[in-house]
Amino acid sequence: MSALKVVHIVGLIVAAVGAAMLACAGVAALYGSSDWLALAEAGAISIVLGTAADRLTPRPKDLTIRESYLIVTLAWLGAAAFGALPYWIAGAAGPLDAFFESISGFTTTGASIFPDPGSLSKGLLFWRDLSQWLGGMGIIVLVVAVLPYLGVGGMQLFRAEVPGPTPERLQPRIRQTASILWRVYVALTAAQAVLYLAGGMSLFDALCHAFGTMPTGGFSPRTESIGYYSAYHQYVTIVFMYLAGVNFSLHFRTYKNRSLKAMLGDEEWRFFSLILAAGIVVLLTAHLVSGAYDSVEEIFRASAFQVVSIGTTTGYATADYVIWPGITQVVLFFLMFVGGMAGSTGGGMKTLRLWAALKQGVVELRKHLHPRAVMVTRVGGHVVPEGVILNILAFMLLFVASFIVGAMLLTVLGVDIVTAAGAAAAAIGNIGPGLGEVGPTGNYAWMPGMGKVVLSVLMVMGRLEIYTVLVLFHPEFWRR
Amino acid sequence: MRILIVGAGAVGFHLAEHLSEEGRHDIVLVDEDPARAQNAQEQLDIMTVVGNGASLAVLDEAGIAKADLMAAVTNADEVNLVACMSAAPYDLKVKVARVSNPDYFLDVSRLRSAQQGVDVMINPELECARETFQLLQSEAAMEIAFFASGRVQMMGLRVQPDAPIVGKTLADVASGIHDRRFLTAAIQRGEETIVPRGDNHFEEGDKAYIIGDPQQMSTVLELAGYQEFRLERVMIAGGSRTAVFLAQMLEEQGVEVTIIEADKAKAAKLAEKLKRTLILHGNATDMELLEMEGVGGLDGFVVLTGNDDTNMLSSLLAKDKGVRKVVSLINKIEYIPLVGKVGIDAAVSPRLSAVNTILRYVRRGSVTGVAALRGVDAEVIEFEVEAGSRVAGKTLEDIDFPDDSLVGSITRGEEVFVPLGEATLWSGDRVTVLARPDAVEAVEKLFE
Repeated sequence: MSALKVVHIVGLIVAAVGAAMLACAGVAALYGSSDWLALAEAGAISIVLGTAADRLTPRPKDLTIRESYLIVTLAWLGAAAFGALPYWIAGAAGPLDAFFESISGFTTTGASIFPDPGSLSKGLLFWRDLSQWLGGMGIIVLVVAVLPYLGVGGMQLFRAEVPGPTPERLQPRIRQTASILWRVYVALTAAQAVLYLAGGMSLFDALCHAFGTMPTGGFSPRTESIGYYSAYHQYVTIVFMYLAGVNFSLHFRTYKNRSLKAMLGDEEWRFFSLILAAGIVVLLTAHLVSGAYDSVEEIFRASAFQVVSIGTTTGYATADYVIWPGITQVVLFFLMFVGGMAGSTGGGMKTLRLWAALKQGVVELRKHLHPRAVMVTRVGGHVVPEGVILNILAFMLLFVASFIVGAMLLTVLGVDIVTAAGAAAAAIGNIGPGLGEVGPTGNYAWMPGMGKVVLSVLMVMGRLEIYTVLVLFHPEFWRR
Repeated sequence: MRILIVGAGAVGFHLAEHLSEEGRHDIVLVDEDPARAQNAQEQLDIMTVVGNGASLAVLDEAGIAKADLMAAVTNADEVNLVACMSAAPYDLKVKVARVSNPDYFLDVSRLRSAQQGVDVMINPELECARETFQLLQSEAAMEIAFFASGRVQMMGLRVQPDAPIVGKTLADVASGIHDRRFLTAAIQRGEETIVPRGDNHFEEGDKAYIIGDPQQMSTVLELAGYQEFRLERVMIAGGSRTAVFLAQMLEEQGVEVTIIEADKAKAAKLAEKLKRTLILHGNATDMELLEMEGVGGLDGFVVLTGNDDTNMLSSLLAKDKGVRKVVSLINKIEYIPLVGKVGIDAAVSPRLSAVNTILRYVRRGSVTGVAALRGVDAEVIEFEVEAGSRVAGKTLEDIDFPDDSLVGSITRGEEVFVPLGEATLWSGDRVTVLARPDAVEAVEKLFE
C-alpha cells in the first residue's frame, strides 16, 4: 500500500471540491450575498492544499484493490471535511455541525442541522445543494470521467464507489461509461430546472432543487421544503425524484433507442415501480380512512410525494408525515430500507438486491418440495451466480446490522427509540428526514455530538454500500 | 445414384446400411478410424475410404467428382460443415451436413447463396425431440410422421383388447364412419406385416399404421380403444441435448416438465438453460427419487440417457408405476422389436430420425417426404404428381401398383382424400404410398 498514491488522488478530489466552492462564491457574489468571501476562502484553502498534495506526489500508474478502497473512503471523508469549511468560516455552524451538514450533503442524505434553512445566505444554500449534486453521481466517477491516466486503476475506483450487485458497462472503456452517466445526469438536471422555471420558480430555487433532486439528496433552500411551492412544482418534483431512483443506464438506453422497451422489459424496474405504487395505494387508503384532507387530489399528491421521496431516498417533504396515521409511517420506514434501483443515485439496499433475495427465497421454498432439485435464481432472464447471491444476502445482513448498531448507540446517547431508529435508517439509507424528532419539520441540531459522528459514519457506509468502508476494518486489509 | 457418406458412426453406418440394401445405390463411406471403416466394409456391400472427410484429397479419393449426393454425418459439426464446403466446387445434387449445435443453425439460405456448399442442415437431436414431442401428444401413438406440410399424418398404434373394431373387417369399420379421411395402410401381427385389403380384419394387439387427416385421428383413437388423453406433466430422464430441445417444446406448450440428470455439473447447466423446467439430480432408475417426485401421476415419461439398457429398465419401471405414455430412446436396432412386447409405448432414436431425413434427399426428384417404419419392413413415401409422369391423369385402378404397396392419401390443395379405385391423380397432387422394400423401386418408377 502506497500512502503517496492515496495522498495524490485524495488531494486531486479535494482540489476539485475547492473549485466547486469557488464557483459557489461566484454565485454568491452575483446575488450580492455576504458569504461569498467565506466560500472563496474555503475554496482557496482546498485548492491550495489539494493541489500541493497532488503536485508533491508522483502520478500513480496503477492502483491495487486495497489502495482503491482506501482512496475512495478517504476521498469522501476528505471532500466532506473540506466541504464543511464554508459553513464554519461563515459562522453558520460549529466544526462538528459543519462536518455533519457537509457529509450529509455529499452522501446525498439531506439531513440538516439548520432548523431554518430559509434564513441562510444564498451562497451557503447553493453550496449545500451543489455538494449533493456532486456526491450523487459520485465524486470519483467524476474524476474517472475526466482523468484518462487512471486506466485500470480508474475502473477499480469506480467499482469501489459504485459497487452495485452487477456492474453494468455501457461502453468498453470505463471512462466512456462514466462520461455517459454524467451526461444523462446533467441532462435530467437541466430538464428539471427548466420545468421548474416554466412553473414560475426563481432561477436560484430551480437550480438548487434540481441539484437536490437528481442525486436523491433532499436539501431545500426553503424551510418548508417543496411544500412551499404550487401543486405543479410538487408534481414535477415527484416525477424527477422517481427518475433519479431509476437505473441510469435504462435512461441512456431509452434515449438511445428512442423507446421505452428497455425500461418496460426490465424486471427490477417493474419491481421498483410496483413497490412505489403499492406504497402510494396504502398511504392513500390510510388518508381516506382518516379523512384529514379536503380533496382526493390533495391526498393523492401528498401520498405520492412522500412515498416517492422516501422510496427513492430523496427526502424532500410537502407535509409533516410524523403526524400522519401510524400505518403510513410504518410503510415509509420500510421504504427507507428498499431504496432506489441499482445504478441509480438512490441509496438504501437497492431494489435489485431485494428482488434477487426474494427470488432466492422462492427457490429455497421450492427446494423443500424437491430435495434433489438443482435450481438457479434468475433476474431479468440472467442466471445470478451463487457467489453473487451470497454477496447480496451478506450485504443485506450487514446493512441491517449496521442500522441496528447505529440505532442502539443513539439510544445509549439518550435519544428516544422512535427517533433513534428513524435517524439511523435515514442516515444509512441516505434519506435525510427520519421519524419522531428528526421528521420532515425537525432537524439534527439538538443531537448529541457523538450521535452526529455515528450518523456521519452510517451515511458514508450507506453511500459506499457497506463493503467499501467495512473492508478497511478487516485486519487483513492492513497486512503487508 | 452415387452417394458419399462422411462418418461411419451410428448415423453414417445406419444410413449406408439402409441405402445399400435397396441395391441400386453405390455407397462410399469415409471415416478417419480404420477399425470403423473396416467394420463397415465387412458388414455392408459398400466401398470405404480411410481419412479425414473434410480433406479434399480424401474426398477426391472417395470419388467426389462422380458423386450425386454427399451426407456429412460425423459427430463433429465443424468437420461436417467443412466437408460440405470442400465439396462446393463439384456438381453434387445435394450436400447434407449433420449439425447438432444450435449455435451453427444460421439461415441455410445464406450459406447456400454464398456458395459455401451446405444445402441442408440436419439436426438429429432436434428431429428426435420433435418426434418425441409428437408421440407424447397422444397416448396411443407408437410412431408418427407428417406429410404434405402437416396436412397428412401417419400414425402407428396398438389395437386395445376392448376396442370396438376388434374382430371386424376393414370394410365394416369403414362403412360405419361418415366422411372418412383416413385408412389403414399396414397391419403388423406378430412377425408378419400385412398390406391390408377390405376383407382383412383387426385383432387385439395388432399394430396398425393409419394414414389420413390429422383432424380425424381422435376418431381413430376411439376406434382403437383409447380414452381421452391430456398431456400436463412430463418427466424426462437423461439431460441430453435432445432432452433440452424436447423440454423447450413442452415448456412452450405449457406442460409441466421435470428432467432427471445423473451428472451434477450437467444438471446445473440444464438449470441455467431451461427456465421453467424442474431439474433433479439423480439416476433414471432411482425408484425412491421417482416416487418422491410423483412418478405415478405423470402423463408422460421419456427416457433419453445414452444407455439403451438403462432406458429400457427405466421405461419399464415408469410403466409399472402407471405412467400412461412412456417413450424411450433406443439406439440398438435389435432392441426395437422388443419395445412393444415389453409394454413401452414408443421408441425414438436420433440416428433413425437423421436417416429418415436424409432418405428424403436420396429419392428421386418427385419424392417430397419419406418415413421408414420402425420394426416393420416398410416405408411411407410421399410423391408429388408431375405433369407428364406415367400416373398423371389416370385413375388409381388403371395404375399398376405393385402388390406390396398401397396408396394412403391424396392431398389436393388444402383437401385430403381417401384414395378410392376410381380416384384420378392430377398433376400437383401429393400422394403418400406405403411400400415394402422390394416394391419401392417400382413405385418410384411410376411417379418418375
